[in-house]
Amino acid sequence: MSVMDAPAGEPRSTQRHTTTPGRAARPRRLRFVLGKLFSLLLTLFIASLAVFFSRFLVPGDPARFLLRGRSPKPEALVEITRQFGLDKPAWEQYLNWLGGILHGDWGRSLTYRQDVSDVLLNRLPTTLQLVALAAVFITLLGLLAGIIASLNKGFGDRFILVTLTAAGAVPPFVAAIALVALFAVQLGWFPSFGSGDGFLGRVWHLTLPALALGITYIAFVARVTRSSMNEQLVREHVEVAMSRGLTRSSVVVRHVLRNALGPILTVSGVMIAGLLVSSAIIEQTFGLTGIGQLLVQSIDRLDFGVVQAIVMVVVTAFVVVNTVVDLLQPLIDPRIAAGTETR
Amino acid sequence: MSQLLNVQDFTLGFAGRDPLLNGISLHVDDGEAVALVGESGSGKSLTTRATLGLLPERSQHSGTVAVRGLNTLTARSAELLGLRRNKASMIFQDPRAGINPVRTVGDFLTETLVRWRGLSRAEALERAVEQLEQVGLRRASELVHQHPHQLSGGMLQRVMIAAALLDSPELLLCDEPTTALDVTTQAGIVKLLRDEQQARGMGMLFITHDLNLASSLCERVYVLRNGRVVEHGSAREVFLAPQEEYTRQLVGATPSIELDRVPAVPVAVEGEEPILSVDSLSKHYELPHGDTLTALDQATFTLPVGGSLGVVGESGSGKSTLARLVVGLETPSEGTLRLGVVDRPDRPLKARERKLLAKDVQIVFQDPYLSLDPRIAVGHAVADVFRLHQKQGRRQAQDSARELLGRVGIGPERFDAKPRALSGGQRQRVALAKALAARPRLLVLDEATSALDVSVQAQVLELVEELRDQLGLTILFVTHDLAVVSRLCSQVLVMHQGRIVEQGPTARILADPGDDYTRNLIGSRPRPLWDRDVITTP
Repeated sequence: MSVMDAPAGEPRSTQRHTTTPGRAARPRRLRFVLGKLFSLLLTLFIASLAVFFSRFLVPGDPARFLLRGRSPKPEALVEITRQFGLDKPAWEQYLNWLGGILHGDWGRSLTYRQDVSDVLLNRLPTTLQLVALAAVFITLLGLLAGIIASLNKGFGDRFILVTLTAAGAVPPFVAAIALVALFAVQLGWFPSFGSGDGFLGRVWHLTLPALALGITYIAFVARVTRSSMNEQLVREHVEVAMSRGLTRSSVVVRHVLRNALGPILTVSGVMIAGLLVSSAIIEQTFGLTGIGQLLVQSIDRLDFGVVQAIVMVVVTAFVVVNTVVDLLQPLIDPRIAAGTETR
Repeated sequence: MSQLLNVQDFTLGFAGRDPLLNGISLHVDDGEAVALVGESGSGKSLTTRATLGLLPERSQHSGTVAVRGLNTLTARSAELLGLRRNKASMIFQDPRAGINPVRTVGDFLTETLVRWRGLSRAEALERAVEQLEQVGLRRASELVHQHPHQLSGGMLQRVMIAAALLDSPELLLCDEPTTALDVTTQAGIVKLLRDEQQARGMGMLFITHDLNLASSLCERVYVLRNGRVVEHGSAREVFLAPQEEYTRQLVGATPSIELDRVPAVPVAVEGEEPILSVDSLSKHYELPHGDTLTALDQATFTLPVGGSLGVVGESGSGKSTLARLVVGLETPSEGTLRLGVVDRPDRPLKARERKLLAKDVQIVFQDPYLSLDPRIAVGHAVADVFRLHQKQGRRQAQDSARELLGRVGIGPERFDAKPRALSGGQRQRVALAKALAARPRLLVLDEATSALDVSVQAQVLELVEELRDQLGLTILFVTHDLAVVSRLCSQVLVMHQGRIVEQGPTARILADPGDDYTRNLIGSRPRPLWDRDVITTP
């Protein structure tokens, strides 16, 4: 909304040129939220199409794979094909699959001979906990490193920047081996295997995997924080706040960090959602039974029911996290809600 | 009690470079309004910021800057906080940049009260509302819950002033507080500042590049140049009888309305088509939430060959939209636009048509820092235009560019310079040369001198005048400054909220305006304090 200045009786123009947030903004806000939710559903629908039909591009017949090692009798092959509904036309299979998902039925796993949802539910908690802990590390350590770097120009900044660049270049499995070598083998502070029991046990067991998983992203978030804060630090409103006698810490918290949050949130959202996929290697290294590992195995065994379910879960998590980020943005920067600023 | 502000022999610079400030001495007494006048880079902002202890990082300094005896150059940070909280407040140039855009206006106003004056949030908000009403804002109790982007620039500057006054300072520092505002808004803010300063008996240090403005607000003036005080004295003496050569130049370059210097309206040649005729031209924009904004409403005028038309108005008046329509950057919603004998089609132009149009009509934009490509050497930028529009070869185009640049005052040694090596005035000359290289018949200048210092503006205006007379150019000059129009344009068109409210010969309109808005615009020009008694402000 561009507001223009009226002539000499300029204060009089107040009535004409401003909108009260309560009245005019509410329907617009509702439309904004509904729009975001609609695009969320649309994305999920398109994703489901891609996920389901991509199976037909992969070579190999799942039914034949099931009978590996045995002599495939034609009747048995037909029987299994019929049992898993593989003989029906593709679109009908898709509709059945989609209808099942909406009822919480993800179909049956070919290898495990049980419901996909059961297979998944056994594995999902570990991965979610791992990702959640990694997200905490990424946010805390990333923000901290970024803030320290941006507030300490000179040696501190350069030291952190070099460290971050190095950390960002380390592949997760190398980081995992290094962390295990140092903290598990040398110092013996953390276990190197298994997922532990009870809340504290879990956290204790998952600390090293979460760090290994998050290290690249910590570097990423730290860099975004640093540059976003640097951008804000030179803004005039920060100088105004200084000139009014605010202490340095309240200037940083209220006027620098607060304004820098937008980009930080966007980047962290995208990355944390992406963690679900990249957790496979870490799960393998630390012997955790999560969905990352399951995904790799299932692709190997052409267990398409499980693969589709995992991919859908990951896609959903990704899209939902990003929608939440989008919905939070207007709360962080009111100009986005007004449509005058886009990010 | 020691003097309010006393700066003695203040020098500031960076190691290994010439000092930015060199031996500055000035003082402000209680209840006194003092102006610090200078062009960009003269060091006036640095001096004022030093008053609050806001020094550039790693700068070296000497001398004293004392507020009530506290030397801000050596003070401990706790003492500086005390000074900023209780003694001195500052109002900044651009309120839109100076107020945190993601927090509410009320939060901005109350943060000092809540943080160390020990008021509860509700009490602080009450004080803030009172203060907003006092600086002339209505519905203050609603305003405090709004965000800065919902307020106009003039309103925001009042918010900024209210915030400064809430701390009841003894010294008010104003850093070009009206430069980002329209003329009529500026008049309101200047009056508010003057009233508050008088009523509270505050000392005020007012920074500006505009001598007229300084003389309308302050009793004493310091003139700064390249980090030195070149002249100081009472505003009247400095303005009317400047001692130093530089001050004389500055006063001479400051635009003023002189009716006897307005160029004459050219005699229309019988039967000749006007170069530009516009009939009921309108431009509407669809806003995201369904409203339409009428940027230009039913504009009708003609511009004869060799004429010069000034388009005057404030921000949002539609003057830039008009300019952009004329050069084909926007497509009209209604009405006709006729250039010479060619009607403008009712759709976005095709590349070929655009090129053909560019041969006849060229535009120079406001900000030469944005309108030149930073990677292309200025000589090549101009030569490229010759190659495109005059079909000249590489060698020939370079010669033409060199000649044209020489004509606008850019020597051949600058031919290979990148824009960043040039000053603002030089860049604007290059932009002008680029426009002229197409040998246009109509030159549109969109606030082309507004971003420049007064002395540079005077040079560019002189150049445009010269080119107009030598080349027989027709000029459409879009500006908010009536004085600039009075110097350059024989005809003027006053715009307000998308409409043309008045048009005609410049001399007649300035001498005898027929519309209230035009009168208001003319009356809002700053007037020296010593003239106040003679002429009553409308």
